[in-house]
Amino acid sequence: MSQPVRNTLAELREIRALAKLTLGGYPWLLPQTEIKSLESPLDIDREVRAPQGIGAIALGGEWWPVYCLSGELRLLPQPPDSRRICALLDNGADRFGLLCDQVEALAEPPRLLALPACMGSPASPIQALAPLDEELGCVTNTEHLAALLAVLTEGAGGH
Amino acid sequence: MATESSRESTAWMLALDDRLRAAVGEHELIHLIEAPTLLEVPLSPYYCQRVILWNDLLLPAMDLAAWLWGREQPAQQERKLAGVVAYQPRMGAAEYGALLLSDIPTRARVSDTQACKLPEQPTGWRDLAISCFLDTETPVPILDLPLIFSGGLL
Repeated sequence: MSQPVRNTLAELREIRALAKLTLGGYPWLLPQTEIKSLESPLDIDREVRAPQGIGAIALGGEWWPVYCLSGELRLLPQPPDSRRICALLDNGADRFGLLCDQVEALAEPPRLLALPACMGSPASPIQALAPLDEELGCVTNTEHLAALLAVLTEGAGGH
Repeated sequence: MATESSRESTAWMLALDDRLRAAVGEHELIHLIEAPTLLEVPLSPYYCQRVILWNDLLLPAMDLAAWLWGREQPAQQERKLAGVVAYQPRMGAAEYGALLLSDIPTRARVSDTQACKLPEQPTGWRDLAISCFLDTETPVPILDLPLIFSGGLL
């Protein structure tokens, strides 16, 4: 799989609207345009499973594999009780569901700052950091999450 | 740090924890933050898991004691100080970072005659330090800030 495109800060700042997806208490920020739909976890069919997924949701005649990631983006085989909403992500090339604690649109675009060089490799899914009220949002996108899921599912399948 | 004329200069002595001391140049330590607000960054290395928002900048909060000992330090929560440091990875482009400290830095005059070998333990000193001097018979490594903050420890 090719490496996901790494956007510059200037490119990221052109994103008009970001959504905050809370995973295990950590706020992850994605372009709102990549959120196709929000679904109830009750609609997840646990019998339809992609590798390392927790099930799938049917939408538009397609099955969307659903994954549960920790706040630090580790695969969780069992969703915690706090996960109450499923965001279906679609960037035209990658398509999957992510079980979240909470999903909300940010009213204003936050100030984006670079991830310090000593804190992450160029392959990090974190493209930028965004100070929010009392917390720090990590900016990523569907392409980076899909690449990470590919690595995680491949690694988990190898054991 | 020394100038040609005096061969002596001023350094800041930093307490990285209750055992490890290091130094930076007089102009490299620019600010001290008491009880800094540390914001956690997921997926970051164990020795630099948090950032500090300072003057509209996000400063990586580097725990060099954790890096030198090879593990996260349980006492990290007790270190209530962060020293803001400035360094120059390229000409004309000053950048900033923060070092977690366990005590208030002190100033010391250092001359070339105090130069000495790096401590053998922890072994990581040889990666972090550009040189070393003796202070009351204790070797004090001088930190290579550009290397530390530009990803040289990853």
